[in-house]
Amino acid sequence: MSSVLLTNILTQILINVICVAGIYVLTGMTGMFSLGQAAFMAIGAYVSGLLVTKAAFPFLPACAAAVAVAVAVGFVVGFPTVRLRRDYISLVTLGFGEAITGILNYFTPITGGASGLTGIPKKTDLGLALVSALIVVAAVGLFKTSKYGRQCIAVKSDDLAAKAMGVNAPRIKMTAFLLSVAVTAYSGCLYAFYTTYVDPTLFGWKKSAEWVIIVFFGGVNSLTGSVLSTVVLGGLPEFLRFLGEYRNVIYAILVLLIINFRPGGLLGEWELPFGKVLRRPDTGGE
Amino acid sequence: MQLQIILNGLALGSVYALIATGFSLIFNILKFSNFAHGATMAFCAFAGYFVAAANKMGLVPTIAVAVATGGLVALCGEFVAFRSITVRNASPIYYFVSSITLGTLLEGLVTIKAGANFYNYPLFFKKRIMKFHGLVISTSDVIMFCCSAAALLILVWVIRKTRLGRGLRAVSFDRDTAGLMGINVIRTIQFAFLLSGMLAGLAGVFLGINYTLYPTLGSLVVKGFIASVIGGLGSIAGALIGAVLLGLAETQLVNLVGSTLTPVLTFVIMLVFLLLRPRGIAGSNIQEKA
Repeated sequence: MSSVLLTNILTQILINVICVAGIYVLTGMTGMFSLGQAAFMAIGAYVSGLLVTKAAFPFLPACAAAVAVAVAVGFVVGFPTVRLRRDYISLVTLGFGEAITGILNYFTPITGGASGLTGIPKKTDLGLALVSALIVVAAVGLFKTSKYGRQCIAVKSDDLAAKAMGVNAPRIKMTAFLLSVAVTAYSGCLYAFYTTYVDPTLFGWKKSAEWVIIVFFGGVNSLTGSVLSTVVLGGLPEFLRFLGEYRNVIYAILVLLIINFRPGGLLGEWELPFGKVLRRPDTGGE
Repeated sequence: MQLQIILNGLALGSVYALIATGFSLIFNILKFSNFAHGATMAFCAFAGYFVAAANKMGLVPTIAVAVATGGLVALCGEFVAFRSITVRNASPIYYFVSSITLGTLLEGLVTIKAGANFYNYPLFFKKRIMKFHGLVISTSDVIMFCCSAAALLILVWVIRKTRLGRGLRAVSFDRDTAGLMGINVIRTIQFAFLLSGMLAGLAGVFLGINYTLYPTLGSLVVKGFIASVIGGLGSIAGALIGAVLLGLAETQLVNLVGSTLTPVLTFVIMLVFLLLRPRGIAGSNIQEKA
């Protein structure tokens, strides 16, 4: 395997690690499912890409603006839903993904429509992806041990009990959702400036679903597990290219086996004991 | 002209109704959103195509094949993906992950067989359109509307009047108590999956007739989701109302603002509904625990 290809795969995996860290906050910690998370990635990618190519913004301010836009949109989407049963957030975000695809296709003169946005300069390299992934994972790790993180886990385990303990459940759900949106949008920026080309089909609900599956594969409440399974499940298909179309089927069967026979995921609740991260065996999961 | 749009909307709404009720049935009984439903539809549409339509068989055998496949796939899916979760009484979160994975699996299988190609159902009718007092009605729309209406009426009859239907209602009301009263819970859940799969099969054929066949056809299930959110999650009547309203709204919107902006506006309608009346038109307010 040539070193260029290896660098390529590694960078893609690191960008995925960032997305999955975002999903981990939402799904692993708070128990919400977003099936439109990839659409927030699309917002990050398109807004930053457009700002740089059409408005001559420098790279980093463009990223910051893109993340801000995504968070604002996330607020509009999340506001009516976080007070409702958890099914609503997945259904609404699913519809949201469709809507984003519609918008991207509609404003063809600006976004390039179905043929995609081209000519984004290449700014992301392995180093930037690595640093970003480390920072994001560390931030999520810190969030998990913070007061908010513990409230998230309480909401996930039992909404009503958490409320009875004085946790403002809708608010904590919103915090988790927006944090996740910000992280995902940032990964979208990195992605756009790595591949230099994006089109609406890259951000369908299948991609969001894949991230949820990865989090569960790694362990219901383990950030370490999520990151590990991103590396394994993200790297594996690259080495199994020869299987072609059968990849997805094998992948799905693997996950079904895990859910049936090891419902906690690969690592369950286990967490790498970095920093002050404490083990909390009695939270979440089953 | 206006009447024309309403007629088209009704035909479209009837297919959405098939999707939404199939989805609602599972939601009712296991209290989760079945994301494998769309892939099941696509799978059945392709099964119908490859077994019957490609061999120049008529509409009836195609529907029969698709409906049978739907029932079978849903039953297998229940066994493979959901049984152990039900038996362990595990957190509903697992149903989500399982259904998403099952959807990926089915879609993967379709992709293996069909590749990334597009397929078209043969034209089943010699006379493609009927003219009636200046209205143009396509034959497939009429058949679609009649078949969906018949299927849904039968479904309502089964749920209201038969012993199995009563069991279904009892289990969706309270699984544990129903079990104590001597209802075979697993059998009832299987029955719900069978019905839902058959509806998915029927919907799959009509989607195949209406659109081109491609492996990700299942993403049209979003319409069913939106319909059931508007109508009320977990209510069959709500799903029907929501689906017809969505069909009418969509044809109207396509006419007014074009097809690319329509999904955006339907999404906005859904958000507004959630803000103003979160339980939908007919749904009761479902809480995780009361």
